[in-house]
Amino acid sequence: MRALALVGLLIAVSGCSSLKTSSPEAGSAQAAPPAAAPAPATPPPPSPPPAAPPPVAPAPVTPPPVAPAPVTPPPLAPAPVAAAPAVPASAAPPHAAAAPAKSPAAAHPVKQPGTSAAQSPANPPPPASPAAPAPAPAPPAAATASTLNLADLEQRLRETRAIGVFTKLSLKNQVDDLLKAFRALYRDPNKRPSAELRQRYDGLLLKVLSLLQDGDPPLAAAIASSREAIWGILADPEKFAKMDT
Amino acid sequence: MAQRIFTLTLAAVLLMGARLVAADDSLGKDLKATIALQGMPCDQLIASKRNGDSDYTATCKDGNRYHIFVNPQGRVIVQKM
Repeated sequence: MRALALVGLLIAVSGCSSLKTSSPEAGSAQAAPPAAAPAPATPPPPSPPPAAPPPVAPAPVTPPPVAPAPVTPPPLAPAPVAAAPAVPASAAPPHAAAAPAKSPAAAHPVKQPGTSAAQSPANPPPPASPAAPAPAPAPPAAATASTLNLADLEQRLRETRAIGVFTKLSLKNQVDDLLKAFRALYRDPNKRPSAELRQRYDGLLLKVLSLLQDGDPPLAAAIASSREAIWGILADPEKFAKMDT
Repeated sequence: MAQRIFTLTLAAVLLMGARLVAADDSLGKDLKATIALQGMPCDQLIASKRNGDSDYTATCKDGNRYHIFVNPQGRVIVQKM
């Protein structure tokens, strides 16, 4: 009987204690139970880590596939190399640069499918290499797009606020002087512009560019890209006569 | 009310002053560029005086003084004084 009573008492006490423990926790804060839950949850992670190591081992196994990916980059490198020889062949720097850039870009899309299927770490390097060539081709394209529009350039020069009125007038004087020299030269139809005229032209263009480069960079770039085209007109008596009329 | 008027007046005066300074700065740059375009030295423009329409006297820090004007033929002339 006493034993039964003791057992009953123990059960009652244990039950009360369990109730007490649970109730204080719930009473203090409901966050406590979640805290208790995380605690048990943490133990499981330790067990996964052991499981993780095996995946780590597989990861090293994946590196071999990664190695193949670097193998694919070499093909990319060879492609640019092939483009490089093509450049000298064409002997046209801007166009050649644009063409090779375009071809690598095409090669990259081809790569991306393969790399995407393979590993993400392998992907980063290839995108980096394509990103570098991509910007390079863009400027040449813009340069070619803005070939030569003398009227537009003249209008932009008139309207730009990067050059003051006195400076603009002074520049106009010098341009007029240069055009006068060309007119005088072409009175004789068989004459060709001398190196001195080319030097004057280059000097004048440099003055314009130096005045514009800080205040109106787009216009400076447009003029710089049109440099040879403008000289092409000045140096050709027929084109010059057409422009001068 | 009087305080508001004073504040507005002060702001207007400050804005006008800033505009004048900016205009003066741009004129100084213009004159300096004009002098440089004519191949004459001027390290820094420290003063400019308006003599008339399109007619200025510029003083450079190195002591050079220039008369800059537009002649009747429409040419910009820079004369060392």
